[in-house]
Amino acid sequence: MEVIKTAVSWFLGLGSTVIVPIVLMILGFAFKVEAKKTIRGAIMTGVGLAGLFLIVDLIVAALQPAVAAMATRMGLSLTLVDVNWADAGIAWGWPGVAGVLLITLAVNAVLISLRITKTLWVDIWSYWHGSALAGFVWALTGNLWWGIVAGVLYLTIGGFLGDWTAKDIQEFHGMPGISVPCGTTVQAGVFAKLITPILDKIPGFKNWDASPDAIRKRFGLLGEPVVMGAILGIVIGIAAGYNVQKILGLAMQVATMMVVLPRMVSIISEGLIPIAQGVIGFMREKFGNREIYVAVDCAVTLGHPSVMASTVILYIIAILLAAVLPGNKLLPIASLAVIPFWVGSVVPYTKGNVVKTVLVMALYMIPVLYIASVVAPVQTQAYNMMGQYTEEIAKGTLLGSFDMGGDPLGFLIQNVMRLLGLSVL
Amino acid sequence: MGYRIVVACGAGINTSTLGEDMIRERLSKEGREDIEVIHVLMSNIEAYEDNMDILVSMQQVYREFKCPVVSGLPFLIGTKSEKEALLDKIMELVKNLK
Repeated sequence: MEVIKTAVSWFLGLGSTVIVPIVLMILGFAFKVEAKKTIRGAIMTGVGLAGLFLIVDLIVAALQPAVAAMATRMGLSLTLVDVNWADAGIAWGWPGVAGVLLITLAVNAVLISLRITKTLWVDIWSYWHGSALAGFVWALTGNLWWGIVAGVLYLTIGGFLGDWTAKDIQEFHGMPGISVPCGTTVQAGVFAKLITPILDKIPGFKNWDASPDAIRKRFGLLGEPVVMGAILGIVIGIAAGYNVQKILGLAMQVATMMVVLPRMVSIISEGLIPIAQGVIGFMREKFGNREIYVAVDCAVTLGHPSVMASTVILYIIAILLAAVLPGNKLLPIASLAVIPFWVGSVVPYTKGNVVKTVLVMALYMIPVLYIASVVAPVQTQAYNMMGQYTEEIAKGTLLGSFDMGGDPLGFLIQNVMRLLGLSVL
Repeated sequence: MGYRIVVACGAGINTSTLGEDMIRERLSKEGREDIEVIHVLMSNIEAYEDNMDILVSMQQVYREFKCPVVSGLPFLIGTKSEKEALLDKIMELVKNLK
C-alpha cells in the first residue's frame, strides 16, 4: 500500500505539464491513434498547458495590483483576478481528467443505447467544462472521486439540456443534426428558452429591435479582442490611479492577455484533438446510425450577424453590471470572450432581435457574476492544489471567471456536495 | 507561390482545429504538403481575407468572400463518407488553384 502511495505521490508531483502528455499517450495508444499523431499531440498539449500557465502568471502579476488599487481608490470590491479560459488548464491538468473523460463517454454510450438521450457527446474538447468543474469539486471535497462524479454528472445533465435546445438551434442556425451541450452556453440557451416567452408578454417588447449592420459599423473595432483589451487596460489603469506610463503599460498587458490566452488554449487543442479523433471515431462507428444529435462546440453558432452585434453591446453592459451590482467581486475582462458563445445559444429564442438578446443576456449575467464571486475561493483552491500561483494565493489573491467560475449548474452541484457534508473548505 | 487554406470558427480553438487536422492529413496523402493550412477566429477574418485561397467555415457564413467558401460542418457531424466527400470537394478546389 505504501509503495503505491509513494508512487502516486511521485507521479502527481510531476505536475500537469508532464502528467497530461503521459495520460494522453496512453489514451492515444489505447484508442489506436497513429503513433506519430499521439506523440506529437501529447507533447504539444503539455506545451500549451505550460504556455497557458505562463500567460496567467502575466495576468495575475499585472492585474492583481491594478484591481487592488482600484478597490482602494474607488471603494469597489472587484477584487477577483479574471482568468477565464485558464480553467481549461485545470480541466486538462487535474489528476482526474481521464476519469471524467472515460466515464462520461461510457455513460453517454449507455444512455444512447437505451435511447434516453439523443446527444452523442463526441465533442471531446468541450468536456473541459465538466472536467474543470470536477477540478473545483476536487478542491472543495479534497477527494478525487467526488470530483470525477461531479464532472460526469455535469456533462451528462448538459447532454440532456442540449437535447432540449437542439431543435431550436438547428433551425435558427441552419445546421441540421447538431446539439450544443456546451457548459455555460447550453444553460444560457435554456435560460433564454424559459424567459423569452415571459418577456414577450411585456407590451411593446416584442417589437423593439436594432440593426446588426448599423451596430457593426459603429462598434466594429470593439469586437476585436486586442482593441478591447487595450481600451479596458486604459480604463482600469485610470481607475487605479496609475500614471500615464503605467496606464499604457497595463493597456498592453491586458491586450496581450486577450490575444495570447486563447492562442495558448488553441495550442492545447492542437495537441489534444488529433488524439480525440480516435475516441470520436470509435463513438461514431458504434452509434452513427441512430437518430442522434451530434454534439458540437458552441463556436459553430457564432455566424449569425445578430450574435456579434449583440456581443459588442454586451461587453459594455457586462462591465457596468459588474461595477454596480452590490456584493459582486468579478470584473470580467478575459471572461468577456465567452459572451458571444452564450449569445449564439440565446438568439434562436430571441429570433436574432438584438434588443431582446441584450436584455436576456444582461439578466443571465447577474446570477453568473454573483456565482463567480461565491465560487472563487473553491476555484482558487483548485489552482493551488495543482501547484499554480501558490505564492499569490498564499498572499490572498483570488481567481475567478465566467466560465467555469460563474457556471450555474456547476454551482448547484457544488452546493449539493456541501449539503451532503462533503466539503472540506 | 504559397497557397493557403483557412479554417475558421468562433473561437479558433476546437472545431477549426478539427477541420485543419483532417485537411492536412488529406493534403499529405495527395502530396500537397506545399499548401499551408491554418485555423483562425472568424472575427479576425478581415486580417486574412486577402491572403487566403479557400475558406472552410465551421459556422454559417452570411457574407461574400473573394475566395471559394466551403462549409466545414461535415467534419464535425458527418459520416465517414460525408467527410470524404467534403475532402474531395476541397481537393477539387485545390486543383483549380494551379
